[in-house]
Amino acid sequence: MERLAERRIAVCVGPGGVGKTTVAAAVGLARAQAGARVLVCTIDPARRLANALGLQSLGNVETRVPDHAFREAGLQPGGQLFAMMLDVKRTWDDLVARHAPDRARRERIYRNRLYQQLSSALAGSQEFMAMEKLYELTTERDYDLVVLDTPPTAHALDFLDAPERILDFLGNDTARALLSPALHAGRAGLKLFQLGGAYAAKTLARFTGADVLKDLADFLAGFQGMYEGFERRAAAVRSLLSTPGVGFVLVASASPLAVDEALGFHERLHAESMPVAGAVANRITPSLWPEGESAPGEEALRAALGAGGDLAARLARTLAEHQLQARADAVQVARLFEAVGGAGVAIPRLRADVHDLRGLSQLAERL
Amino acid sequence: MAPPSLLDRRLVLVTGKGGVGKSSVAAALALLAARSGRRVLVCEVNAQERVAPLLGAPPAGPAIREAAPGLFTVNVTPDEAMREYGLQVLKFRTIYEAVFENRVVRYFLRVVPSLAELVMLGKILNEVRSQESGRPRWDLVVVDAPSTGHAVQLLRTPAALLDTVPPGPLRRDAQWMQEMLVDPAVTALALVTLPEEMPVNEAIDLDQQVRDLLGIPRGALLVNAVPEPRFDAGEQELLRAQQDDPPPLGPAAQAAVLQAQRAEQAARQVARARAAIDLPVTVLPLLASPAWDRSAVEALSEALGAGGAPWAR
Ligand SMILES: Nc1ncnc2c1ncn2[C@@H]1O[C@H](COP(=O)(O)OP(=O)(O)OP(=O)(O)O)[C@@H](O)[C@H]1O
Ligand SMILES: Nc1ncnc2c1ncn2[C@@H]1O[C@H](COP(=O)(O)OP(=O)(O)OP(=O)(O)O)[C@@H](O)[C@H]1O
Ligand SMILES: [Mg+2]
Ligand SMILES: [Mg+2]
Repeated sequence: MERLAERRIAVCVGPGGVGKTTVAAAVGLARAQAGARVLVCTIDPARRLANALGLQSLGNVETRVPDHAFREAGLQPGGQLFAMMLDVKRTWDDLVARHAPDRARRERIYRNRLYQQLSSALAGSQEFMAMEKLYELTTERDYDLVVLDTPPTAHALDFLDAPERILDFLGNDTARALLSPALHAGRAGLKLFQLGGAYAAKTLARFTGADVLKDLADFLAGFQGMYEGFERRAAAVRSLLSTPGVGFVLVASASPLAVDEALGFHERLHAESMPVAGAVANRITPSLWPEGESAPGEEALRAALGAGGDLAARLARTLAEHQLQARADAVQVARLFEAVGGAGVAIPRLRADVHDLRGLSQLAERL
Repeated sequence: MAPPSLLDRRLVLVTGKGGVGKSSVAAALALLAARSGRRVLVCEVNAQERVAPLLGAPPAGPAIREAAPGLFTVNVTPDEAMREYGLQVLKFRTIYEAVFENRVVRYFLRVVPSLAELVMLGKILNEVRSQESGRPRWDLVVVDAPSTGHAVQLLRTPAALLDTVPPGPLRRDAQWMQEMLVDPAVTALALVTLPEEMPVNEAIDLDQQVRDLLGIPRGALLVNAVPEPRFDAGEQELLRAQQDDPPPLGPAAQAAVLQAQRAEQAARQVARARAAIDLPVTVLPLLASPAWDRSAVEALSEALGAGGAPWAR
């Protein structure tokens, strides 16, 4: 994938399970072997990247893949390969610490019950923190390339929408104003809201319980004044993502659903002027029989084998099924590559699952 | 004694890694149950609807719709679930509209963490306990749950709220929901995976979370898309040597060697999953069906029906 060669940031996006994490690691490995200093950052909670890189575990800190791990896999280390796994909660904590005007405010936020649930409970929180971390990693460190793996989202586009959604949550002035009396409400709690949305809000309190709204009020009050800092940062990340040093890599399998989703993502990136480096069609079935010719039947194979039994029948069936899949895959791959102006790499289904450096390097070679 | 059939529970939650076949398995399971005379509801959770289309029916959207005889589907969305929940709490549509259609209130509903999950899960569990002329409305509710991380988040919502929310209506709801989720007479979770290294790793992790974090009764492990062993060791050796032969034998031998490798690798992963996860294992075949449609679901359903104890009718 030459279009990736000059980039400083590569973001692997795509539907669930198609191989984003694997491709992210392979992209990183390929560049590291060419001599670069590379970091691969994953959000994968299932420790798959660690597995694949032969590390016991990964944390929020950057861990170098040791040279002996390369040599044991029969590879030349070349440059330096680092990997890390994003810790969403820690990244939030760091972000709050950075923006809070003083210690008291920081502690107040840390103590808030909603904040404590935030990293796991608020949709988009993971993605938002991934972008935050990406910014830090590319502006405060000196990697030649940072590869970002994106979380397994139900909808790939969540990744792009997350910051806005979170900022909307943190910065909603109407909500803050409406909730602020909740902070001062007495134990009776139902004096909660005055005027304005009073009726609505009161009924709402009946529904959620007044204390939930109180927590929310306290939470929003905690973030008061910090919002602008967050917003600036999010805007900076956004413009970072549309610089030419960035390349999104669309990863898809040959399933029609996966390709639909990747194409949707491509359209969106295009609309937002975010640069796409190319597409990876992963786990493709290679064709073994010429296009347009029907695969040999049982008789032809029996004659070639010169043997009886039902082996010929099983062979014929196996080749026919294989070709059926290969043809279906080729149609989908063509759809995907067309969208990216031909800048695509098809990776065959490897004979073994990719779960170590050796497997990754086979993949890296094809990139 | 064989464990009771999962078809006799009231609620079966189907989850697993993205793309492993959760929707297909949920559809197949529902078909099996409906064919045995049960009245079945399949709930998808705010998804691109798959189950009804897989059965050859139009998508249901947020309103329950019959996709096949005795088999109903619905796509549970946060907005619609919130609306139903709100109506239940507030009783009157006019009040509901005044409150819930209010712009600011809508903001709150969206941002109170876990509320969307809570009302969606609430709607599903409400279906499980709902009665119609003195008997349960559904014999079985199948949930085509989101993939791993999102499923844990969804299913953990009641417990998380019980940890953080002070007494009040929200807490009361979280309470009955949690009780239902952990009741082995009512609920079972079916874990779907593929016979590959990383999906099996993820299944093992998820299984542990279900046990230790969620406390939801675990019912079965389904390993989906497992290629059949088609060539014995002697044949494989022969075929490996013939891969470079001229056509037609060379290409056929190559396809056969690939098939054999996949089958062998899959068998290893099935064994690994069996050893690591103490659940009855059901193996579902890899189907050569480029059009993934009703006929594929029928085939999976048949394989489930032949899959032993957990799926006995
Ligand atoms: N080319 C390939 N050949 C064979 N196996 C592959 C190939 N690429 C990926 N795999 C395997 O596919 C599985 C899924 O890959 P991976 O975990 O990278 O997907 P993902 O898109 O990151 O998934 P998620 O959305 O859950 O994060 C893994 O078991 C991996 O080893
Ligand atoms: N037994 C099988 N044999 C062959 N292919 C299968 C099998 N099961 C599933 N598939 C393929 O996998 C695809 C994904 O299946 P399905 O939509 O059921 O997965 P899912 O886990 O619900 O995915 P998602 O995480 O996106 O909701 C199907 O469209 C089909 O192509
Ligand atoms: Mg991943
Ligand atoms: Mg699905």
